[in-house]
Amino acid sequence: MKPKFLTLKQIFITACCISILYAPLSAIAETGSALKNDNLRAEPYADAKLAGDLSRGESLEIIKKQGAWLQVKTKKNTGWVRLLSVKRGAASSSNQTSGALAVASGRAGTGQVVSTTGVRGLSEQELKAAKFNEAEIKTLESYTLSAEQGKQFAKAGNLETINFANLTSSESTAK
Amino acid sequence: MNLVTIKSTRSNLLISTLLASLLGLLSLQSAAFDLKGALKDAVEKELAPKPESTQANANKDGNTTTNQPAFNWKNPSKEEEIALGREIAGNLLGAAPLVKDAALQKYVNSVGRWVASQSERPDLPWRFGVIESDDLNAFAAPGGYIMLTKGLYRKLSNEAQLAGVLGHEIAHIVEKHQLRVLQKQQLLNIGAGFLSDKYAKDNQLVSKAIGSGAEISARSLDKTAEYEADRLGLSYATRAGYEPYGLADVLQTIGQTNKEDNSIALLFKTHPHPDERLAALSDAAGIRLDAVKEGKTLENRFYQLKK
Ligand SMILES: [Zn+2]
Repeated sequence: MKPKFLTLKQIFITACCISILYAPLSAIAETGSALKNDNLRAEPYADAKLAGDLSRGESLEIIKKQGAWLQVKTKKNTGWVRLLSVKRGAASSSNQTSGALAVASGRAGTGQVVSTTGVRGLSEQELKAAKFNEAEIKTLESYTLSAEQGKQFAKAGNLETINFANLTSSESTAK
Repeated sequence: MNLVTIKSTRSNLLISTLLASLLGLLSLQSAAFDLKGALKDAVEKELAPKPESTQANANKDGNTTTNQPAFNWKNPSKEEEIALGREIAGNLLGAAPLVKDAALQKYVNSVGRWVASQSERPDLPWRFGVIESDDLNAFAAPGGYIMLTKGLYRKLSNEAQLAGVLGHEIAHIVEKHQLRVLQKQQLLNIGAGFLSDKYAKDNQLVSKAIGSGAEISARSLDKTAEYEADRLGLSYATRAGYEPYGLADVLQTIGQTNKEDNSIALLFKTHPHPDERLAALSDAAGIRLDAVKEGKTLENRFYQLKK
């Protein structure tokens, strides 16, 4: 019984810590923040009627996803916004919070541990020390597929090409 | 997502390579001050059809590879671009070999080949590999060589995400982002007169080029090149019939990785923060993706790594 009690106690303490850390946020919905100024819509369509707006950096709650749209709740409104207007996870400004969360979950510093236990990494040092590996490059090249083979693979997955011009940076100013 | 330029230590040129590296840095710094014009002239001069050095070499040595013409840094052919990329990719594989799972490699090549067919350079011999590393990263080398780490692959959950990641790397190669960095470096070195003698004594021109480009190992491209690769990567994957949000999904995931984690250190060093990349991609997409309705994610056939 005793070990069990201790375990429960530990869980209790951990839970307390986490709830304190999460206190300003909702414990249920996924949180996020606005990547840009954008409109909220009453429904998940571009021409649905307006239901408020978002300003860049504003934190929000993600309620659900439908197609390319997310239903989100801000302090003032609830509405639909395009998927790409939202960054998932805690707002990036709260570095302190994310650091504290990392500590609470035991994730902080794992990188350090990994780097000293001989797990393969690709640090600059390791890249600089690397020697050309002829056998491996030949193996890599042996996997090369033809355009036709790529097409067959796409067909097997019912992938169909569509017309879509490359995105350009010039569109960035037009909202 | 990276320019990897790896020091080639396989030749016995280590010392000269180091020297060239130092000199290369010097030449860059010089360029930053007031020698720019002089260096430019030197570049022109060196590139003019000449050098006694290169030719003398070809005649004197007369061994196996002397029929190979000097590497044309000013305007490399497709074959030269591929040879250069092969050297870089081979070095990277020396640091982290391929995951020994032929089905995985075949799957990644299938997705990559199909996405590359939607790019502006469908004719390159595109090849893709998953390498043994727990880092989160992906690499492109000139001429169609693309690798991603097992650590990054593990973060993916569907084929559209893989297509987005590969699309970003394909775009770097299509736009010759890395090739241009190497070209600029080499032309400055040659122009400054630091490398011509060394060139004359070795017929492994390509491997030497990489070696002397080593001081910029794991170097970042400029931010605009990264944003461009994101926009094009998304575009290629979308044209290929995938749901357009694969790359953005991956950026969301990477953005939530602890910055202190070493597995992400090099990626964060060489690329703008995922949040900035997402914001830029979002701005560029605007309302363009509203019209894309039938894109597929294909999680059902996404290849699962063996444990
Ligand atoms: Zn990149």
